[in-house]
Amino acid sequence: MALIEIDNLSVHFEVGERVVRAVQGVSLNVAARESYGLVGESGSGKSTILRAICGLAPISGGAIRIGGQPLKTPRGRGFARQVQMVFQDPYASLHPRHTIDRVLSEPLAIHGIGDTDRRVVQALRDVALDPAFRFRYPHQLSGGQRQRVAIARALMLEPEILLLDEPTSALDASVQAETLNLLNRLRAERGLTFVMVSHDLAVIDHMCDRVLVMQHGRAVEELARADLAAARMQTDYARTLFEASADRMLDQG
Amino acid sequence: MTLLSVKNLRVTFDTEAGKVEAVRGVNFSLGRERLGIVGESGSGKTMTGRSILRLVRPPGRIEADEMTFDGIDLMNASERQMRALRGPRIAMVMQDPKYSLNPVMRVGRQLTEGLRLRDRIGAKEAHAKAVAALEAVQIRDPERVMQAWPHELSGGMGQRVMIAMMLIPNPDLLIADEPTSALDVTVQAEVLRILDTLVKERGMGLIFVSHDLRLVARFCDRVLVMYKGRVVEEVASGDLLAARHPYTRGLLNCLPRIGGPREPLPGLDRSGDWARA
Repeated sequence: MALIEIDNLSVHFEVGERVVRAVQGVSLNVAARESYGLVGESGSGKSTILRAICGLAPISGGAIRIGGQPLKTPRGRGFARQVQMVFQDPYASLHPRHTIDRVLSEPLAIHGIGDTDRRVVQALRDVALDPAFRFRYPHQLSGGQRQRVAIARALMLEPEILLLDEPTSALDASVQAETLNLLNRLRAERGLTFVMVSHDLAVIDHMCDRVLVMQHGRAVEELARADLAAARMQTDYARTLFEASADRMLDQG
Repeated sequence: MTLLSVKNLRVTFDTEAGKVEAVRGVNFSLGRERLGIVGESGSGKTMTGRSILRLVRPPGRIEADEMTFDGIDLMNASERQMRALRGPRIAMVMQDPKYSLNPVMRVGRQLTEGLRLRDRIGAKEAHAKAVAALEAVQIRDPERVMQAWPHELSGGMGQRVMIAMMLIPNPDLLIADEPTSALDVTVQAEVLRILDTLVKERGMGLIFVSHDLRLVARFCDRVLVMYKGRVVEEVASGDLLAARHPYTRGLLNCLPRIGGPREPLPGLDRSGDWARA
């Protein structure tokens, strides 16, 4: 049985008179310990799917089940211990006036987990940050360090599932490499399940076992990693996307 | 023909903690061609671009042995002369349309503002020129976009509006600072094609500032690779993938590739002598 099951999901937003159909009838299954990618251009609804899982976007139709259980609204504490999200922009996703210590210890306080000191220091070590960063503010950190803090925060409650929304698109190439390596190491060590959104096919290819190509809120095509690398896509749109990423192929350089 | 010549450009910020040198002795010259400047954040690539327009605020200081644009000495030009250059002769497209467009002014008014105030063109003619500029950047429904507020545009649309705005006065040199990093690959390809056509058809010079090596290699004629305020390597784009400098090689190697191995990506080794210089 799949860990995450999404059946015929629709997400609609009402903007004045207009209804924006951000996601229309998308179904997907992610097995435990799998890494699943979502690609597509902006506005294709890929981030909205992650947000719908978290309760940040309304589920207008269809259903999402995690571990066979339908999601409750509001999501509740149990959900937070199972699913966590890492956002695109580490500059925007950390509270500018909270120290790293406060950012990391807040989930522990909410969930009544003790042993805060040890856990916070350990969390920093896990993402390869020096514990000296503990009492700094986000503006004293570089973009890559901030994204490490965001990842550490997501892991504080030891979730099974990590939802990653363009986790490295705001980072330099060298920092992106470090962050992707970190995510892969953590996934292997903790047996995490990833759902990862990116517009960079090379990043998706490096990180994910399967990928769903999306356009205009609909699922276009699901590809296994081998099919992606071998350009065995069936639809024109997936091919267009692939060709626009031609400079990210292996044989270049 | 040399359009722009820069010799020993330095940008220094005097801070409480001492001098911070953002750009340390950059030399280059540019004809009517596409020059890429790549580097990581903090490498001084954006400051190099901004210095040409003398858009560095105090406490930042610009120094150069020479900075000449089309025979004009940019270092000694008056603020008045600089204002006459910015826009009509040298234009700049910033990274993020979200922060560069006025959020409380309709797109049409922003596009025509310069024409009406600077060129004293009538409202009707200015409107027609703005619509033509939007068409030049392949916006399908320019009349609707003219009426739209910036928040109603997608990232790609916003970036095209910015490019249209910069192109209205027909500048000789366009400085584009990460013009496509906020866009996805398909839109990115489209915006680059538009820029490319404009360079070719109008004979513009283009300075393309980006952190994306592969993109620059594909799009520009020549590439400057910057690290910590210095140009560490200058290569023709075709040769970028065969670049020799350890920093350039490191930047290329740490990128994931489609069909590549699943092993950890190589990090950037900064232990060489080049990194300490």
